[in-house]
Amino acid sequence: MRHLFALLVVALWPALAEAQTDSATLNAAFTGLARLSFSANSITFVDADPDFVPQVSSSPATITISTKARASSGGTVTLSVQASDDLRSGVATIPASHVTWTVSGAGFLGGTLSATAAQTVATWTGSGVRSGTQSFYFRNLWTHPTGTYTLTMLYTLSAA
Amino acid sequence: MTTSRLPIVAVLAAAAALGQASPARAQRLELTLSPRVVTFTSSDPDTVPIVAAAPIQVTYRVRQNNGPWTLSVLAAGDLISGASTVDIFNVTWTATPAPPFQNGTLSKTVAQTLASGSGNVNPTATGSVTFRVANSWTYDAGTYTQTVIFTLSAP
Repeated sequence: MRHLFALLVVALWPALAEAQTDSATLNAAFTGLARLSFSANSITFVDADPDFVPQVSSSPATITISTKARASSGGTVTLSVQASDDLRSGVATIPASHVTWTVSGAGFLGGTLSATAAQTVATWTGSGVRSGTQSFYFRNLWTHPTGTYTLTMLYTLSAA
Repeated sequence: MTTSRLPIVAVLAAAAALGQASPARAQRLELTLSPRVVTFTSSDPDTVPIVAAAPIQVTYRVRQNNGPWTLSVLAAGDLISGASTVDIFNVTWTATPAPPFQNGTLSKTVAQTLASGSGNVNPTATGSVTFRVANSWTYDAGTYTQTVIFTLSAP
């Protein structure tokens, strides 16, 4: 029977591998962020005869818009634009709505510029990096007073 | 009758001996982390593509050991924030001194070796581990968390 005792000890000992554990908690914060960039920061509509060019294309013809946004899960990312004012040349004005745009790229929307309300240029769901283009047109009329008109377009990229 | 009881007594004595030896063996291996919380602060992915946390100190001791020893790490899962997740393989670490420490990438399925050696490490030794997470615009915004288990083992 003493042999049995010895065998039991030998059989049990190799199975007793030892381990010590400790743990650490990883905490990672990824807050909402948005970044917006353009291939050009200004566009120009050159003078043209309204009979031959009723819609004047901008120069450059298109602007590439790059967006980066970190939104909450399922959150909406929106790019909008609003004119600071109507087109203005001294006291003469042309409504900002005479400027329209077409687009390319997923999530981008064509539209008409407004000085009173932000217009949606693009919308997406969730975080990500996206890009598209905007092509601008100016409605050319004989009734526009002569002059050099300007306005500022303010773009806003928001992530919910 | 007396002789027939002897094996039972002997087996019980062996079991008792093993049980008493357990605390002593627990002292063969010692492992302590400080701090136990690793924090990655939010950063712009364009300017900080890899976010580093403050290093943690891993203090360990191996005694009464004639064979190899291993210190491994295993994540309990992906980084989680509500329904949002970030794959845990986006978390890497660098560790010093090397050897016995080595750099690696966290896994939630297979324990990854953080350090290894053989024989004893006595007195206590300390290694420094710096965790890093790949930063991305594609992550859902949120505060993520996960547990990482460090295991020091020897046969």
